[in-house]
Amino acid sequence: MTSLRRALWALAAAGFVFGLAVVALIVTSDTPEYPAAWAAGGLAVGWSFIGVGLFAWGRRPDNRVGMLMTATGFAWLVAGCGLSDLPLVFTLGQGVGTLFFAVAVHLLLAFPSGQLESRADRCIVTGAYIVTAVAGLALWLFSDPRSLGCDDCPDNVLLVYDNETLVNAISTVINLIGAALITGVVVVLIRRWRRATPSQRRFLVPVYAAGIAVGIMLIATVALQVGGLDDPVLEAAWIAAMVPLGLVPYVFLGTLIRARMIQSRAVSELVARLSGTPRPGELRDALASALGDESLELAYWVPEQDRFVDAQGRPVELPEQGTGRAVTKVRREGSYVAAIVHDPVLDEQHGHVEAVCSAASLALENERLEAELRAKVEELRESRQRMLRVGLEERRRLERDLHDGAQQRLVSMALSMRLARARLRDQPEAAERLLDGASEELDAALDELRELARGIHPAVLSDRGLDTALEALAHRTPLPVDLESTPGRRLPEAVELAAYFVVSEALTNVVKYADATHATVNVASENGRVVVQVADDGVGGADPERGTGLRGLADRLAVLEGRLEIDSPPGRGTTVTARIPCG
Amino acid sequence: MGRTVLIVDDHPSFRASARMLLECEGFEVVGEAEDGAGALLAVQRLAPQVVLLDVQLPDIDGFEVAARLTANGDSPAIVLTSSRDVNDLGPLREREGVRGFIPKSELSGAALEALL
Repeated sequence: MTSLRRALWALAAAGFVFGLAVVALIVTSDTPEYPAAWAAGGLAVGWSFIGVGLFAWGRRPDNRVGMLMTATGFAWLVAGCGLSDLPLVFTLGQGVGTLFFAVAVHLLLAFPSGQLESRADRCIVTGAYIVTAVAGLALWLFSDPRSLGCDDCPDNVLLVYDNETLVNAISTVINLIGAALITGVVVVLIRRWRRATPSQRRFLVPVYAAGIAVGIMLIATVALQVGGLDDPVLEAAWIAAMVPLGLVPYVFLGTLIRARMIQSRAVSELVARLSGTPRPGELRDALASALGDESLELAYWVPEQDRFVDAQGRPVELPEQGTGRAVTKVRREGSYVAAIVHDPVLDEQHGHVEAVCSAASLALENERLEAELRAKVEELRESRQRMLRVGLEERRRLERDLHDGAQQRLVSMALSMRLARARLRDQPEAAERLLDGASEELDAALDELRELARGIHPAVLSDRGLDTALEALAHRTPLPVDLESTPGRRLPEAVELAAYFVVSEALTNVVKYADATHATVNVASENGRVVVQVADDGVGGADPERGTGLRGLADRLAVLEGRLEIDSPPGRGTTVTARIPCG
Repeated sequence: MGRTVLIVDDHPSFRASARMLLECEGFEVVGEAEDGAGALLAVQRLAPQVVLLDVQLPDIDGFEVAARLTANGDSPAIVLTSSRDVNDLGPLREREGVRGFIPKSELSGAALEALL
């Protein structure tokens, strides 16, 4: 037997004995007009709450509803003590007996989750506890039951000073606060009904029924207090009000049992519905109706992309906690299959979502495979577009480079030649200078064209491989470059090209921006991928969003499903790392 | 002295060659500008008779510069130039003040004079 179970049994025994004690106190008391009816009704209500409460507590220890229901039962029995004619017991029962209403309100507002969800709920419940416990006791410091018209009542042991005016004043304050709290409860319950989904409303019906029962009891109690504690008609009305109240725990229990029955029927219907081949979208509809949540959405796990996608294969973001939507992830044989995004109230129906998920897991796996296929097609389509864009951008850059570089030099050379030709006879020295200038422009243009051609495709790479191409690159860079490691073997052409451009672009940036004294290059092939790393000891603070160079590289790598990382803390150098899958 | 010219081009090497070429053939180069905004200011300040205007400038393009210069009516003679082929530029907007187009590699004092 677990310690919880032992505690629950101890509480059950305590409730049983307490109930009998209260009956004994009432039956032997002179105060009530109908002691037998008081005793029977009081015992039935108290034991119902305690019994059903302990049952629910045992079934769902993590949900406070059972505990609150048990507490309501005990509070009720304490209130029953107020009918005793033993002064101490009488005073205790009358003084703190109204605590019952506070616990009942707490139970009403916390059903079915056991939590007070909103600030308004918490304020109302706190207010109710304060009014019933603190103010109730304060009232009993100054009221003598005999001066309030109860001649049969025993002495008030708490009485400090009998003052009817003070009692009336405190009563008025309590009644006003009480009325405000009741209004609050009504407003909260109406608001809750309006916002509720059909499946949530299923849980609200018993709350309303119980609310009405507690309300009737409250009216009867106030009437009894106002009309005098020994009016037989009001006393009879009070006894009658116990009947609906006694039914409350059973209504709660009935709701829980009915929900469970509906759940198991829903699961068997779901299994039957999924036995054929579901049409597209039918699985979602079947799950929505099995869980009674029309807003339900499905997302499928794509392990390769490490994310969830919808049925069309488009990536979806799962809602965070506290956004009014709950997520249940479905696993099958240890790995994710799907995620069900649903109304958070479903989490209260213990195990139901899980039962539905496991009934549907095979169908979900089938739909997941389809969604995964669509996601891959989508990814391919995107990468094709990206490739096209990268290509277009490169051509544009090429045109720009040609226009601004070699073309301008050739233009200025043509002009110099024409000028030189015009001066050839009259000013041969000037013509010579012009021709020298033109020749320099021609050399520069050739250099630029060579550089450009290397940018389009480095010939050394295709002829002699990545190792040699990287050596040439390191040699050409106007900065000491340590080529620490190279793959030492030929890799697929596209991978070599991407690795080469990563090193080339990174070294260009080092020279242009880093203000570094030297750079190191590492290219290693490991676990089916090539890791390219270029590090410098420069100023750091590189922003990948700034230049088009790094963005272009990232796109170029994305086409190969590779990734680019840039680590560049200010003042501590820059490390560019590219990981390229290499089959 | 010959006609006063303003050279507008974003490539310093072209500006230097063009200045040498035009001065050699009797023009007076009164200024250079490297972009459209600079060109508009320089025209206001220097009031050249001729503007040799590159079509492709880093800020506003040569067509727009020409349009703004000719909008006032009393504008200098504008000759467009580019290292691109004339056919690659699309139809040249015929405006009062825009005298014509010379490919950069064919620039000479005579070619410029022929358009004025």
